[in-house]
Amino acid sequence: MRAVDWRRSKLTKFIAEPQTEFDIMDDEACLTVEKELDRVVSKLEQLHEIASVEIGDVASLMSELVNVLGNAEQMLVTTLNAGTQMNAPGTSSTDDPMGDGVNMQVETEPAAPQRLTDSQMEIIREAILKCNDRVQKLSTEHRDSHGSVSKIGKAIDRNFSSDFSSTMRVDALQDEDNLMLLNKAIAKHYCRQGMDEVARTLIKECKMSENDAQDVFDSEREFAEIYSIWIQIQKRELSEALKWAIRHSSQLMERHSLIEFRLHRMRFMQLVSYGLESQHEAIVYARTNFQKFAVRYEHEIANLMASFIYLPGGLEKTPYKIFLAQEMWTELSFTFLKDACQLLGISKNSALSVVVNAGCTALPALLNIKQVMQSRQVLGMWNGCDELPIEIDLQPEFRFHSIFACPILRQQTTEDNPPKKLTCGHVISNDALHKLSNGHILKCPYCPVEQNAEEAVRIYF
Amino acid sequence: MSEIKALEHATLKVPYEILNKRFRSAQKIIDREVDQVMNVSRQVEKALDAEQPPILSDVAKLMGNVAQKLQVLKRKADESINDELSVTQICKRKLEHLKGIMPRNADEVCQGSVDQWKRIRLDRLVIEHLLRMGYYETAEELAARSDVRNLTNLDIFQTSREVEDDLANHSTTKCVLWCIDNKSKLRKINSTIEFSLRVQEFIELVRQNQRFEAVKHSRRYFPAYEKTQLNEICHVMALLAYPADTEMEHCKKYMDPKRWEQLVLDFRHENYRLFQLSSTSVFSAAVQAGLSALKTPQCYSQTCRNLNCPVCQEDLNRIALKLPYSHCVQSRLICRVTGLPLNEHNQPMMLPNGQIYGRLALPKITKEDGTMTCPVTNVKFTKPKIDKVFIM
Repeated sequence: MRAVDWRRSKLTKFIAEPQTEFDIMDDEACLTVEKELDRVVSKLEQLHEIASVEIGDVASLMSELVNVLGNAEQMLVTTLNAGTQMNAPGTSSTDDPMGDGVNMQVETEPAAPQRLTDSQMEIIREAILKCNDRVQKLSTEHRDSHGSVSKIGKAIDRNFSSDFSSTMRVDALQDEDNLMLLNKAIAKHYCRQGMDEVARTLIKECKMSENDAQDVFDSEREFAEIYSIWIQIQKRELSEALKWAIRHSSQLMERHSLIEFRLHRMRFMQLVSYGLESQHEAIVYARTNFQKFAVRYEHEIANLMASFIYLPGGLEKTPYKIFLAQEMWTELSFTFLKDACQLLGISKNSALSVVVNAGCTALPALLNIKQVMQSRQVLGMWNGCDELPIEIDLQPEFRFHSIFACPILRQQTTEDNPPKKLTCGHVISNDALHKLSNGHILKCPYCPVEQNAEEAVRIYF
Repeated sequence: MSEIKALEHATLKVPYEILNKRFRSAQKIIDREVDQVMNVSRQVEKALDAEQPPILSDVAKLMGNVAQKLQVLKRKADESINDELSVTQICKRKLEHLKGIMPRNADEVCQGSVDQWKRIRLDRLVIEHLLRMGYYETAEELAARSDVRNLTNLDIFQTSREVEDDLANHSTTKCVLWCIDNKSKLRKINSTIEFSLRVQEFIELVRQNQRFEAVKHSRRYFPAYEKTQLNEICHVMALLAYPADTEMEHCKKYMDPKRWEQLVLDFRHENYRLFQLSSTSVFSAAVQAGLSALKTPQCYSQTCRNLNCPVCQEDLNRIALKLPYSHCVQSRLICRVTGLPLNEHNQPMMLPNGQIYGRLALPKITKEDGTMTCPVTNVKFTKPKIDKVFIM
């Protein structure tokens, strides 16, 4: 325990600044890698150029030379044929170039195979030299670009962290049961988003048990209905939403939910906005549906009914215009989503997305602290530790439970050590209260009030 | 450290490793073709350097060879450099996506686009996790459905899928080919996967009672591992002495068909090492860190559960059981009615029964006749005395 406390006191200093949305991004890391990458790309493009132009150039030079040589030979053969025809044509091809020189001279000149002249040899030599030069250049330049290629890797390694092992509890996600539970969470997440096939394939591939699979679809079926109604509201289509609200009317009333009235109000305004021809319909609608809200929304209903004044001219230029604005529809759809999820006891975001997004916020902080801990040779972030070493500053939307940390003892309160409100209104933990009180007399640590320690009340957040 | 720095290593490292591999093979191909060109050109030179001027038609033929080889070189160099360039495009696309989260100017962050980016990130992480678990079909389907295929490493895992399927069918062919393909890299990371494969082949020969073949096999492949694996080689060779259905403990271990399943896992592991991926997925790290960050003692008490809290849900609750709680030195209080934080803008107020709600919540739990209902305990109060509470 002492070790843990020591660590904490040392580490409080390193608590990261509150995470903001900006911390997701990091220009620098990406840009460094991109710079190296661009360098390689331009190098490769250059090489590509060399390959296609320079090599192509030499290649065509070579074939040209071959053509010229071929032509030269052809010409010779024709002249030969036209002139002396003393030798059998076969001899020239089988003739050994290293053969007896004297013999050659004795033979009539045209009969001997055509040999290259010095200038021809010079041209060929030059061409070959050029060719060797170019191909070698291609090979060496390509090899030279290896440096830039491996620089990308180094830039990635330097700017991005690759090792999570220290931030994980090895056994937590290793055993079969937990992995299956995780699969279930994944399947549920995709079920929610209407990607039932993905969930089904996963269930098949991971061989999830019948019961669990059933559970996946059951748990999200309710949400699927809500989700589709939500989409409909955003498309300004209210009939399904109204049906749902009427079905759950009594429960919604109990929870003081505004959604049923809001839906009726929206529908009513929609009817009014259609103009005179729907006047009768609107009145009937108001009569049938607003009655049960008469007590609670007396003023509002009166207000709504007054819109009939503007009916002939349309609502465009009246104060009622605001009721049908886009913001109202968006607002309505989200209120519906919230209230309906609350009523059904399901959450608005999928559990998996909340967890992963929270984890993505937490990981950088944990990796940071790892470096500090290692440099101070405090190893084993998790071992024998029942709390994370640092506080993770999550966004308010990720806070689901109130946590009261006693300002005196710097500890979270628990069932055994609950928070207590002093008569002056300040809150401290029960343990702190006992430590600070002298007999029954307690002086509040934050204000000058002296009071009876017995009068502090247990409070609940 | 930013989230991108902490989480996106694999996203970029995998395409980089592929680029590196392509680079090496391109170098090899180019070098080989260059050698070919040099060979034939040397023949031409030799002919030119001969004592006598060479025969025209011979030189023409040789020059023809050179021209032909040059064309081949040109074509192959073209292909392999294009290969490399296409990988750089993959890298580039991923970088663009990572940079997509950044606002054009620092003042405006568009919540909608950030949420969308996070949704894609979740899909990417899930896909990576599915691939690591070997759920290839699900990964494919998800990638297609959410259109993130070009941001994932699916294509690379396609090869490993083939190898794994092959191993699952008790065949080593594809895995051996994979080993040969990545030979130098595997040697660098001291991989023993190839040895394990050879041992498995040996075991299969013993199982089929082709002991003579087995001996031949061992003679051919085992000496290469003499220095490092001698001990295991001895153990394996002992199999020759026993019947295939032996009850001997250490032989049974080798003869177990489960060894194939182990090979699949070994292969998967080596494949990650090859791409320098950590042995655990970012997804599981994120899930653990996320669960811990959200986990409070309330999640495990029957009365304080919150529907929206993931850790309070049954499945995740069980996963989180062994994980540490979140750490908190500063109180963070949330009104249970509105879900809004309790602070100077929403002062905490205490009902007579000790329950605390935010000031903004009070109108919601007050009826028009002034009675108040505590939403947690359902106790009704008529005109109650409500106290301010101060949290330090």
